Amino acid sequence: MASRSSNMLSRANRIRQKLQAALEASVLEVEDVSYQHAGHAALKGEEPNESHFNVKIVSPNFDGQSLVKRHRMVYDLLADELKTGLHAISIVAKTPQESGLPKS
Amino acid sequence: MATRMFSNLVLRGIAQSRVSRSSMVGQGLTYSTRISGDSDTHEDFQPTNKLKDSGISIQDVVQQDVKENPVMIYMKGIPDAPRCGFSALAVKVLQQYGIPISARNILENPALKEGVKAFSNWPTFPQVFIKGEFVGGSDIVLNMHQNGQLKELLSDIKNASAKP
Repeated sequence: MASRSSNMLSRANRIRQKLQAALEASVLEVEDVSYQHAGHAALKGEEPNESHFNVKIVSPNFDGQSLVKRHRMVYDLLADELKTGLHAISIVAKTPQESGLPKS
Repeated sequence: MATRMFSNLVLRGIAQSRVSRSSMVGQGLTYSTRISGDSDTHEDFQPTNKLKDSGISIQDVVQQDVKENPVMIYMKGIPDAPRCGFSALAVKVLQQYGIPISARNILENPALKEGVKAFSNWPTFPQVFIKGEFVGGSDIVLNMHQNGQLKELLSDIKNASAKP
């Protein structure tokens, strides 16, 4: 069911699905912050919705990987989204050890 | 050498944040190669692609940029007038270190934008290169600022610029 309707899902949900499946994330927060970029100069004439996201991921797969590599892993998984109007993702990528105890 | 001169000709030079003045605003990539969306246009009337004709690719220009500029940022807008919050953040972080920052505005040249993305294999902007190495985008630059890695990485640049 999920796979059949994947194109109907919001981008946030697609991002969540793709990252969850590949990264076995223990924490995965996806926040659509496109509204913060409304009227963005770079988006002139383009669809402003679902363009900017904050993503926080805690995954054991990041262990031993540099920040650049972790970001590349996320970008690679979201390549299709980046081709279809996703402009920017602010990424926090940590290993379970780095994330430590959950805050507050 | 030839590449440098050529890229200055085509790309109108690089904005240097330290020397930038309001007169710099609007400069940058005025001679960008515009891709005509009109498929009916006869090729004789289409804008010429100077880079293509010269045999020097955008990749060569980027290569030269990051080699010659210890801190190079490809961004949306220019350091004095960023046109994206993430580009603004990256510039703001780098400016804490009092080092010269070289920048190109990728909004003014779609070919440059695609060329830089291909060069670094990184899909978003800003993109920061330090001493020829790709460092990352604003998240990574901010992170490295907070954990001290950026200070370490930039320390010898500061020293170098202080030499007579």
